[in-house]
Amino acid sequence: MQQELTLQEVVEGVAQIIIDELKLEDVTPQTFDPDLDLVDEVGVDSMDLATVALVLQDEYGIAIDEDDYPKLKTIHLIAEYVLQRAPVNN
Amino acid sequence: MERSKQKAAASQPPKDGAWKFSDILAIPEIREKWQTVRRYFFLRESTYDMTRRCNIQCEGCYYYQGDKASVPENRDPDQWRQLMRLEKERGITYVVLAGAEPSLVPELCEVCFQEIPLGCIATNGIRRIGSEIDYTIHVSVWGNDETSRRLRNAANMLRRQIDNYKGDPRAVFIYTFTRDNVDEAFEVSEILARNNCRISFNMFSAPVGYRGGLRHDAASLQKTRVAMQRICEQYPDNVCFSPYNIVAHTQPLGLHDLFSCPYPRVNTSTDIGLGRSFRQYRTDLSWDRTAACCVPDTDCLDCRHYAAGSAIVTSRMFRHAADPERFKAWLDYVDVYLAVWVRGYEKSPNLCRSLVAPPVTMVLKNKQGLDL
Repeated sequence: MQQELTLQEVVEGVAQIIIDELKLEDVTPQTFDPDLDLVDEVGVDSMDLATVALVLQDEYGIAIDEDDYPKLKTIHLIAEYVLQRAPVNN
Repeated sequence: MERSKQKAAASQPPKDGAWKFSDILAIPEIREKWQTVRRYFFLRESTYDMTRRCNIQCEGCYYYQGDKASVPENRDPDQWRQLMRLEKERGITYVVLAGAEPSLVPELCEVCFQEIPLGCIATNGIRRIGSEIDYTIHVSVWGNDETSRRLRNAANMLRRQIDNYKGDPRAVFIYTFTRDNVDEAFEVSEILARNNCRISFNMFSAPVGYRGGLRHDAASLQKTRVAMQRICEQYPDNVCFSPYNIVAHTQPLGLHDLFSCPYPRVNTSTDIGLGRSFRQYRTDLSWDRTAACCVPDTDCLDCRHYAAGSAIVTSRMFRHAADPERFKAWLDYVDVYLAVWVRGYEKSPNLCRSLVAPPVTMVLKNKQGLDL
């Protein structure tokens, strides 16, 4: 049986996905501020977010609605969104 | 967390029927094109009316609908330069210089190019734009010379367009299919191909309130679809289009109904994407969110415009990542978009050769009985 995910684990997992997909440098999952606004402060665009969302779906086995993109503003908010939907936590 | 980004072999269909994005990307031909096109995700566009003037008068020209043409014209290169610098600061990386006829103000086009070097000029092609402005140039073609004389009040139009842009690597001749010029597309394409011209396709999209005879109907959409397929087969080295382009632009429903247009004119969200960044500037350098799309004053329900599709369909990657064929179709569409709009981008062979239906959305579910 899989262990439940913790918020911190998901925060770091989401950060890693964003770092990989956006090819961000000079930042690690541990140093990525989870409250940074991904659009305003990191420069994430809708195509980046679509890519990240698809990878999140694969990684956590969740379904993400396109209409929810605007809610996914920070790593923290994404992690909470994932935790609410991850099968292992439900 | 370990992430398995790549898989060694091409994936088989999943047993439960649901493809993972990583499985789709593991297919080598998909991965290759994906890696190519995603390098261009940084493109963020806005459009600019350059002048109120035009040297021809075309039936159904969207520019002269609404009040765009009633604002003053700013012809001060310094103010245009300042605008471009501000645009760059807010993240715009790609400019589309359009209405009414940019070739009449080359000095302003050059200023734009000097500040933001990626872009496109939409022109009727009668007056050549100098090669110092190294934007992609879209030359609008509406049929043979007889039709152009009738609809655009211009003589020998195709001949003059070809003389100006034959073999010019910047130029793409955009053939606009209307309800009554489908048959002419064959002879025009043959002439363009013979003259070493690149070709892509547009669909006439009626301006708001248009009552003329160019608006497509079900029969002309079907006829256009067949013509596009045949021309693509006949001139594969010249025509830049894909089967999915054909599907997306010849549906009974327009692009907005099919894909949900993200332009500010119909999208109230300012959170992300085009709703956040896109502006459509008028000749006085003002802009109006309620009119902001790439073809303002076009009837949204009839919009199948190639420029609109280039933003609308490409922005809907998520919906197309459902299975390999649909994702291939989307990648082909993006590949066409980049080849038609970005200087130096080379189109690769289409991955999806069948006519894949667009993703079914709630709008489509509510419109039963449509043959997509």
